[in-house]
Amino acid sequence: MSAKQNQRPASKQGSGVVGQPLNRVDGRLKVTGGARFAAEFPHDQMAYAVLIGSTIANGRIKGFDTSAAKRVPGVLAIITHENAPKLRPVATNPAEGDAAGRRVPLQSPVIYYHGQYIAVVVAETLEQTQQAAALVRVSYDEQPPAADMERERGKAYPPKGKVAGKPADTMRGNTDTGLAAANVRVDEIYRTPTEHHNPMEPHATIAVWDGDKLTIYDATQYTYGVRHAMATTFGVPEENVRCICKFTGGAFGCKGTVWSHVSLAAAAARVARRPVKLVTTRQQMFSNMGHRAETEQHVVLGATRAGKLTAIVHEGLSHTSTFDEYVEPFSKATHMLYACDNFKASQRLVALNVGTPTYMRAPGETSGMFALESALDELAYKLNLDPIQLRLVNYADTDPDTKLPWSTKLLKECYRTGAEHFGWARRKPAPRSMRDGRYLLGLGMATAVYPVNHFPSSARVRIQSDGSAIVESSTHDLGTGTYTVLTQIACETLGLPPERVEVIIGDTNLPKAMVSGGSSTVMSVGSSVQGAARAALAKLVETARADTRSPLYGASADQIVASDGRLALKSNDARGETYRDTLARAGMKEVEGSYDTEFNDKEKKFSSHAFGAQFAEVRVDPDFGEVRVTRFTGVFDIGRVMNMKTGQSQMKGGIIMGIGMALMEETVLDTNSGRLVNRDLAEYHVPVHADVPQLDVVLLENFDEHASPIGAKGAGEIGIVGAAAAVANAVYHATGVRVRELPITLDKLLGKGALA
Amino acid sequence: MRAYLPDYELRAPRSLTDALALLAREPGGWRAFAGGTDLMVLLEAGLLTHRKFLSIWHLPELKGIEVANDHVTLGALTTYTEVQRDETMRREFPLLGAAARETGGIAIQNRGTLGGNIVNASPAADSPPALLVYDAELELVSTRGTRLLPYREFHTGYKQMNMQSDELLTRIRLPRTTGDLKTYYRKVGTRKAQAISKVCFAAGARMNDGRIADVRLALGSVAPTVVRCTQTEELLRNQTIDEATTKAAREMLMTEITPIDDMRSTADYRLNVAANLLADFLRQLKHT
Ligand SMILES: Cc1cc2nc3c(=O)[nH]c(=O)nc-3n(C[C@H](O)[C@H](O)[C@H](O)COP(=O)(O)OP(=O)(O)OC[C@H]3O[C@@H](n4cnc5c(N)ncnc54)[C@H](O)[C@@H]3O)c2cc1C
Repeated sequence: MSAKQNQRPASKQGSGVVGQPLNRVDGRLKVTGGARFAAEFPHDQMAYAVLIGSTIANGRIKGFDTSAAKRVPGVLAIITHENAPKLRPVATNPAEGDAAGRRVPLQSPVIYYHGQYIAVVVAETLEQTQQAAALVRVSYDEQPPAADMERERGKAYPPKGKVAGKPADTMRGNTDTGLAAANVRVDEIYRTPTEHHNPMEPHATIAVWDGDKLTIYDATQYTYGVRHAMATTFGVPEENVRCICKFTGGAFGCKGTVWSHVSLAAAAARVARRPVKLVTTRQQMFSNMGHRAETEQHVVLGATRAGKLTAIVHEGLSHTSTFDEYVEPFSKATHMLYACDNFKASQRLVALNVGTPTYMRAPGETSGMFALESALDELAYKLNLDPIQLRLVNYADTDPDTKLPWSTKLLKECYRTGAEHFGWARRKPAPRSMRDGRYLLGLGMATAVYPVNHFPSSARVRIQSDGSAIVESSTHDLGTGTYTVLTQIACETLGLPPERVEVIIGDTNLPKAMVSGGSSTVMSVGSSVQGAARAALAKLVETARADTRSPLYGASADQIVASDGRLALKSNDARGETYRDTLARAGMKEVEGSYDTEFNDKEKKFSSHAFGAQFAEVRVDPDFGEVRVTRFTGVFDIGRVMNMKTGQSQMKGGIIMGIGMALMEETVLDTNSGRLVNRDLAEYHVPVHADVPQLDVVLLENFDEHASPIGAKGAGEIGIVGAAAAVANAVYHATGVRVRELPITLDKLLGKGALA
Repeated sequence: MRAYLPDYELRAPRSLTDALALLAREPGGWRAFAGGTDLMVLLEAGLLTHRKFLSIWHLPELKGIEVANDHVTLGALTTYTEVQRDETMRREFPLLGAAARETGGIAIQNRGTLGGNIVNASPAADSPPALLVYDAELELVSTRGTRLLPYREFHTGYKQMNMQSDELLTRIRLPRTTGDLKTYYRKVGTRKAQAISKVCFAAGARMNDGRIADVRLALGSVAPTVVRCTQTEELLRNQTIDEATTKAAREMLMTEITPIDDMRSTADYRLNVAANLLADFLRQLKHT
């Protein structure tokens, strides 16, 4: 079956459970500690591995002195590049969600960044391992690192690969003529710092070898990616590797790539001939698991007096590592968001002695939309036009980039509803014109957009002889609610209450699902679950119709409906029977349906995106420069809302992360030594509860059948996209001070005096 | 990386006498371990160089809030939670409650102690400015005896203090002469909780006939130690509050403190905000 045949709006049938704010089905397990995370699977004979990181950022290892470390009782192995087993590189395949960090660990003495793993110690207990690791002495040939984008900018180069699927330099129309025709221009530089994902759960791996079979328990967004990477690295067939991940304690992108600690855990287990547990430290996560790259973005807007955009230029720099290429695609959304005939994008890279950056919640959009939506705000002031009005003047009725019609786009509705909920009409246009007691009050808004990404994925549904059902796919629950939403989707098709459906995920023994990234999971896996449930149900219906003893014998399939664990005639509910009866009589243990979604994106007829409008109110203390977000409204079109509660929670999480981005998050690199200065949660600030106001989130009703068979567009990332810009625009409205370099800290805002 | 626990020794003496005897026997050998909220951070980071600790957590002499006629004494082990709950503290020493409320989160408030905050000697600590305003005195005890030291004389330089290695801080004494001060406490940071202060300001004053009769100003995070700004106090004493006084006081304050640029803020910001805090305090003082 293809996705096409499957496009009936599912809401027209079933128990109506989809969309309901169902509590997390795994909630009880989580709060009672029953949910097992990667590091929590016990094994007999478990040994512990601890990674040692380089203390220099550039150079070579001269040698190790492990004599003291080896004397620590319980030490089983100390693995360095001098004695490490050969590990093979994993070719990255972007279509596979970039399965692996490309550099193979412990194969050479070269140091590329501070904190890079240079050794693994394995011992009987964690304490012994830590002690031995602390006693390993290393000597280096140190070179000065490239650790300052500003200092290295002369060496900026065009990316070798594409930028979010597009060439690094693109032009639509002609921006020179567009700018020449403009009455008003904005021409500014915006900067965003390096940021880190900081999920609660650290990266952790347990590796267990049995001959040349490997079982890996890993904190990941991509079980099949881990399997592929381990099979390649150790030269064993893919079937020999099983990856298990039942719960992931947050990820935000950093667990989408198989970083080198995973292969080091497996290598350690192989060398020590023991199951090995490896849990990384928070500090190691700052160096080795990617980050959002720093950007410097030059945005030029030209517009007529009426606000019609005549040109958009979005160009600039981001950093990558010296050994690998990752482009933070900040110009991505600018291609398609506003109607404008003349558009130019250009991105360059600067290589630094840092670990390779990676995807972090809405990569590209998050940093890019801070710049674009700030620039639009600046243009609105120059034109004396309401910021929403300016966006409406440039509203794109079709995708300006691909020229395709939108699958659905409720962005106008987002602006309207958002303005209403937020009380936008109360905003006085002039900056610094509103006060609340001692505080300067500011209101700002921004647009959010995020593309629909779906990946081929498979699921299996089995209706059991006890009338319950089991749903299986290798996908992941990152804390996002996958278990719950898949339960709802299965319930809807199968006509079962949630407590009769069990969802089993996070295991490569199950049907394949791709990386849980790009806001794709519910759309992709949810669609396969719906397909598999339909297939299973169809088999059940066939069984009943074919059975002379069934009350449904001979009834035509389209006359039979499923609800409450029963099949019955549409026209006469009394003529029917329970699933249990059907299966018991047929002597069957279960009926099984499978489904593979395939999305034919090559012949796309529609452009599909989630949209949103975000509104922030801030109060700024004029004496101290403290910014407090006091209200926030976000209205989103994420297609069909599968669960009102988990859907809203995703938006709220994104908004909170956006508030952090606007006001506090920043990873500080010591430009002389190449060391990260604030690699812990005491100094890398994310918002605390007290920083977060009541968040008003509205999810519009929609069903986008072109986005996915289940009508959903994806919810994981869009919440953060416009949040930082909305806050930054509100800060400008409050103070009249435009800070173009995130985060907007108190010192930047106050400058050398007071705002009062 | 986390330090290796077997390398450490932790003893829990039965009584204060035993504790002091141990300290005296091996001067510099043992250090107090109170709530551990500063020490455990160092341990976790592998930066706890001292190896031998003395748990004082259960010593009764170091606990409790006692109210006498002319002063209140707080055991060095008094936690932030206890400070906030105590009726006398709330009524007469609100600055300390304000500091306690803004220190860490609930867990830290339950476990962190005033004594630890003082002896840890961070210039960014949040209760010391309040203690300075209240003219706190410290009771330091060793086998050699007990001495009472004005808190103002305790910190002598960055992480340097007027305390011998055989001494324990047992109690903090607050004279009950400040209940009628108009007080002001403000911790300025990037976020609303769990942020190390960029600037912390505690102040108290008494007006008489429209003039400042008594004024105490203390700041954290603006010098190698927490500081009482006596020259600015001097300048303000007996003045009426007007623009000229405020301006002069701001200028004096900015010469009295020596903030630095660091990861958490800039010297410029700290100087200006310290002055703005003072101005805000004077404004409120005038209008109450
Ligand atoms: C998450 C977190 C948040 C924090 N937030 C804040 C904050 O907002 N503001 C703030 O000011 N601090 C904060 N702190 C720091 C810390 O909690 C406080 O300094 C606390 O008061 C320390 O007390 P303690 O009893 O835990 O000290 P300990 O860690 O036990 O000891 C600290 C030092 O004091 C010495 N010491 C302790 N008691 C005595 C005594 N009676 N006699 C002699 N020496 C003694 C110890 O030897 C040690 O050197 C925070 C800490 C953490 C981990």
